Amino acid sequence: MIPPILPYQVAPDDLDDPFWEGCVRHEFLVHRCAECGRAYWPASSCLDHGSASMRWEPASGTGAVFTYTVFHHAYDPRFADRIPYALAVVQLDEGPFFHSDILECDAADVHVGMRVEVVYEDVAVDLVIPHFRPIPEPERASAHE
Amino acid sequence: MVAAGLDISSNFAIGGLGVSRQGRKLGVSPRELRLEALELALADAGLSRGDIDGHIGASSTGMFDDIRHMGLSPRFSYSMQSGGATATLSIINAVGAILTGQAEVVACSYAAAPSSAPARSAIGASLRGEERGAGAIGYGTYSYGYANMYGMVGAGAAHALHARRHMQRYGTTSLHLGAVAVQQREYASVRPGTIGYGQPITIEDHQNSRMVVDPFRLLDCCRDTDGAVVVIVTTTERARDLASTPVCVLGLGTGHNMRNWWTGDVFDLHDDIAPAKETAFGQAGITHVDVDVAALYDPFTISPIMQLEAYGFCGPGEGGPFVAAGNTRLDGVIPTNTGGGQLSGFYATGFTALVEGLWQLRGEGGATQVAGAEVALVSGHGGNGGVQNTWAHGTMVLGVDR
Repeated sequence: MIPPILPYQVAPDDLDDPFWEGCVRHEFLVHRCAECGRAYWPASSCLDHGSASMRWEPASGTGAVFTYTVFHHAYDPRFADRIPYALAVVQLDEGPFFHSDILECDAADVHVGMRVEVVYEDVAVDLVIPHFRPIPEPERASAHE
Repeated sequence: MVAAGLDISSNFAIGGLGVSRQGRKLGVSPRELRLEALELALADAGLSRGDIDGHIGASSTGMFDDIRHMGLSPRFSYSMQSGGATATLSIINAVGAILTGQAEVVACSYAAAPSSAPARSAIGASLRGEERGAGAIGYGTYSYGYANMYGMVGAGAAHALHARRHMQRYGTTSLHLGAVAVQQREYASVRPGTIGYGQPITIEDHQNSRMVVDPFRLLDCCRDTDGAVVVIVTTTERARDLASTPVCVLGLGTGHNMRNWWTGDVFDLHDDIAPAKETAFGQAGITHVDVDVAALYDPFTISPIMQLEAYGFCGPGEGGPFVAAGNTRLDGVIPTNTGGGQLSGFYATGFTALVEGLWQLRGEGGATQVAGAEVALVSGHGGNGGVQNTWAHGTMVLGVDR
């Protein structure tokens, strides 16, 4: 069972319980239609096949920043100590969008197209929050060699 | 594809308009403001309370005692809420009620006093919220559910996600955003009663204003204001007998950004304008070149830019340079947000644009009246369909009575 309330007073939708249970196992899941294979997040009905064939399945946990903003103002004072911080919409490699902050990276370095991967924050035995962080770019062949 | 629907063109009209005081921290309750707007609308139309046989509360809360407080005796009254799309949706519902014989004279009322409210926390609690504890944030709130855990707070950030895509794809710059802010403030600076009245700004003022949610600076964002609006919808035939100048409802259209969430275009399209435009322009029998004045929903500067593109006033990606070149001025291609819009006029959600469209077609635009304006385009968007940014959209085409 996942907690009734997530950090920052966010109420999880019970349709997404399997996703949050997956996070506890450090598994990033998407909601996928067994008929056509299309992936969704959060829990959805397939546009073509409805809800009967929807399954939670492990996903890559990787994607790319589709768009982002950087907060320089704390609309909510609980985020004041994070400023400036980036909030990105990650397009998962399976297709769906996922809103996340970007860890292990200066806000100023976040950019559209940046490759990112999931990183888990273990909050409690029954609660793990997924975040994203940059995947190191492949090192370019050095001009010196 | 949605059928063209009934020919509503010119059969329905706005026969009365009441606009209460609009401004920051008025310290007046929404229902008092609503009453003020109702009195003004009735006087404008030359109607009495007993003539109002239908009432729609638009973008409202706490409606349980409103009809009593307003002294109305309608055959129906209900509230609806889809954020900034509600103004158009309320007119659609009013027309539908008249078409189906439920009423002949429908009052659509908006009232809010967010800048006088003690705290913003109350808006966070809704769908799936209350059952999980006071103040809990569910998927249907302004705080966007899960995204809130990562710091996603406020409508500015929601629109910044669009702005960033537009900059990435087309090279739109902060100076382009600033051109919108400066132009709209120029309009407001000569429009009494607006928050920008007597206070023009320069592009340097915009560039020097502090960054809030990148790429938005302070002057890219509107501010909450208090106020109320009541519009009276009836048949054009009936409206012609009223005291005010009728403004015809030529076309009404809807779209929903959930459609674009599924296709992955939700952050690139800002609004689902395409189907709304097709329906509304089709009903009105117009194209964008027939529009004399545009009143576009503009909580943030990127909004007019992307909507000017979507309605066809300029090509995709050209909205920034289009505004910066002066095309939205009174002598430009399409005078836009001539009352200052939400950015510099007043924030009455979708009613800001509706009021400006009505004022222009009634010839009440004052120093920023568009000479000979006969057709006005009005837009709005708001609400969420289950995920952040999946808001509803409404398009209205208004015209002078011919």
